[in-house]
Amino acid sequence: MMRPPRDLPLSNDPASRYIPWTVGLLVFLATLSLAIGFFLSSAGENWRRSLSGTLTIQVPAGPDQQAFTGSVIDLLSTTPGIDAVRRITDDEVATMLEPWLGDEISTLDLPMPVLIDATVRRGHAIDIEALSTRLMAVAPGTVVDEHAVWLRRLTDLAVIAATVSLSVMVLVLLSAVMTVVFTTRTGLAIHSDIVEVLHLIGAKDSYIARQFQIHTLWLAGIGAACGSVLGGSAILLIEVYGARLSNGLLPDITLSGIQWGLLCLLPVAAVLLVVATVGITVKRVLGRMM
Amino acid sequence: MAGLLLSSSDSGRRANGYAILHLNLFRKEPLVAAIGDIVRFESVGMRYRLGVEVLHDISFSLAAGSFHFLTGPSGAGKSSLMRLMYLAHRPSCGSISVFGRDVSTVPRVELAALRRRIGVVFQDFRLLDHLTALDNVALPLRIAGAKEGQIRDHVAELLRWVGLEEQSDAKPTTLSGGEQQRVAIARAVISRPQILLADEPTGNVDGEIAIRLMYLLEELNKIGTTVVVATHNEALLERFSHPRIRIENGALIEHGHETAFDPDAATI
Ligand SMILES: Nc1ncnc2c1ncn2[C@@H]1O[C@H](COP(=O)(O)OP(=O)(O)O)[C@@H](O)[C@H]1O
Ligand SMILES: [Mg+2]
Repeated sequence: MMRPPRDLPLSNDPASRYIPWTVGLLVFLATLSLAIGFFLSSAGENWRRSLSGTLTIQVPAGPDQQAFTGSVIDLLSTTPGIDAVRRITDDEVATMLEPWLGDEISTLDLPMPVLIDATVRRGHAIDIEALSTRLMAVAPGTVVDEHAVWLRRLTDLAVIAATVSLSVMVLVLLSAVMTVVFTTRTGLAIHSDIVEVLHLIGAKDSYIARQFQIHTLWLAGIGAACGSVLGGSAILLIEVYGARLSNGLLPDITLSGIQWGLLCLLPVAAVLLVVATVGITVKRVLGRMM
Repeated sequence: MAGLLLSSSDSGRRANGYAILHLNLFRKEPLVAAIGDIVRFESVGMRYRLGVEVLHDISFSLAAGSFHFLTGPSGAGKSSLMRLMYLAHRPSCGSISVFGRDVSTVPRVELAALRRRIGVVFQDFRLLDHLTALDNVALPLRIAGAKEGQIRDHVAELLRWVGLEEQSDAKPTTLSGGEQQRVAIARAVISRPQILLADEPTGNVDGEIAIRLMYLLEELNKIGTTVVVATHNEALLERFSHPRIRIENGALIEHGHETAFDPDAATI
């Protein structure tokens, strides 16, 4: 049987013509920012994992080197999250420096730093800055491996960047909501006459709202699907080229199955959000009528 | 459901341009459930937004099954009073009850249900231009959630009753004023309202059509529908003797009563 015609000729509205484009673009942007958020948080997670492992601490040469070394080892041994502490022997240090200084090193009588390896428990993140401060207090001049500190900062940065890109996604969705509120209000204004007739012949608010919602569902659905497909393709491109370029330098730029799943849910969530917004907007405007 | 009034076995007999309504159509449940005042206004005032009061201290009641003219000069407040009666506007003071319910206390969703029991022929018809005559008439049934198959039959039958079966697929803009009015009437009565309000129904059509329309409204009244016709058309007022509610400058100055409707007289 033929579907009954719509009570409201919404498809002719100039404002609603932009809904697929706007929603499409916004879903595209939201998809990218969510994916970037995922990349950054997995990168951060990888870096954090490489942090837990071994820390190297240097006690510089000097008159108090032996005393300081003892204090550092004591402090490290009592630090939670550190399983083992080992002083690297002078011979090992000499071996490590050999490529630069040659095998005459032991005869040179250079002031050598004492190196201490601390094994961090798996899955345990050590606050290196705090540790560093405490070590400095008992043994001034002590240095915690630069690499670890740098990685630690990078991890923090990744968390911040991931948070920022997730906030960007939320803002993008909010702007989709605002666009739809505007379009719906315009539609209600354009068709205020028909809306009033429907209201007066006994249409419930939900009936009128549904007319707008069905209309928006299609437009936003098409837009969201396109935006999502484009966004997904862009991410695949980044994955492929990123893997080729970074060559192991950067942590894996790939998304897990769950993350892909969430990316696919994004357009659905966006459409639901938009349709719910339309419903609320229509009902709020109708609420002003008796 | 309130919407389904025409059974396909019923048919109309043509007379005077309109088919005579087969009164069986309305017999499925008593139209006037409780004899009494179907509309009651008590000291009602009304203003548009923050403007001046356009109606003051209006008190009257309409017996179920009555037929009234609402008269008064242009700008007196007839349309505003009609708006109050079809629940388009809240009074600024006083109280209105319809079907025995005080409208100020009725929840929003139930207001919609009450509106379905009130048919309105708007002054400018207010048909939906993008819909065909058939879909315009079907609108109240669709809103009430009736099934498509039933809607088609009922609407076709009602369009035949108003003599528009040929134009059922025409858009309102291609219809004459009189034809548009008949579509508007069909839309107003399809959900079998207990109250029928017509605002200046003779304003946009010529005299002959106005007379036919009045016969049509009287026919609906005979089967129990409470009818109010707002008009300042003197010829019409002289020709048809119904009690009058007269307002001037927003105040009620005359309210002619008539004997309450007798339900037994309506069944045939
Ligand atoms: N939508 C409106 N907003 C403000 N004032 C209105 C509106 N409609 C009618 N009025 C005013 O209310 C008064 C009564 O108008 P109306 O009810 O249309 O009278 P009638 O139908 O008897 O000609 C007039 O003074 C008119 O200007
Ligand atoms: Mg008027």
